[in-house]
Amino acid sequence: MTIVLTTLKVFTLVGLGLYAIFAGIMIRQEQLMADVLEEGFEPILRLLTILHFAAAVGLFILALMIL
Amino acid sequence: MPTLYEAPTTKPEKKQIKAHSHTKMTPLTAFAVNPTGVRFETQEADEQVILFLRQHLIINVPWIALTILFLLAPSILFPLILQSLPAPLPFGYVLVGTLSWYLVTAGFALFNFLHWFFNIYIVTNERVIDIDFQYLLFKRFSQAELERIQDISYTAGGIFATIFHYGNVYIQTAGALPNLEFLAVPRPDKVVEKIRNLMENLPGAI
Repeated sequence: MTIVLTTLKVFTLVGLGLYAIFAGIMIRQEQLMADVLEEGFEPILRLLTILHFAAAVGLFILALMIL
Repeated sequence: MPTLYEAPTTKPEKKQIKAHSHTKMTPLTAFAVNPTGVRFETQEADEQVILFLRQHLIINVPWIALTILFLLAPSILFPLILQSLPAPLPFGYVLVGTLSWYLVTAGFALFNFLHWFFNIYIVTNERVIDIDFQYLLFKRFSQAELERIQDISYTAGGIFATIFHYGNVYIQTAGALPNLEFLAVPRPDKVVEKIRNLMENLPGAI
């Protein structure tokens, strides 16, 4: 059971780490596209992508602590 | 004495007002004539945005339906998975697993919305522009000067396209320039008409 849980922990941490990188790239992409098009709703989208990234990093840290 | 000439009324025609009306932009705007508050990267000082287009809102229905399914899944799927395991899973794993599921669902919805939001078609008084958010860290900016446009047509086929009045607009350009495609845009007939009007009003146009 310990081996199974350790394997699961490693996979979860690697997956969440990769997801946090993806969330970071999404912020950069949003910035790139916002440079192309200036529109009123863009700051809200930027906030959403930043919140998404913060949640991804937060969950990675939580997984590191409790798994 | 009979009236030989009667001066036309000074009331402006309804059509004229419509042609110069401005559309206020909202986050879900997919068709805007003379939009206010929109600027794009290479816009010149005297260049005016005449048409601002995104894909029709109905295009978003599949990913919205999937997001709703993903949001409902943990309450049905997770108890079944947990019951089928040979040994109970520690609480930490269940918590992280559930939170990860909701995070990925939120990311899926956000990515799809960004994809729709930043796939834009713009018609200005000088050119036609297609801005694509294709996938992560890849954007495409295609344009064609109005005088370079050779042919313009549209197709609107299928049940949904007919009901919701959207279709594809094809813009064929001269020479080696790439052709532009406005995919699933609302009111394709109006788009074609607007671009044709702009082409006819170009200096030197026949």
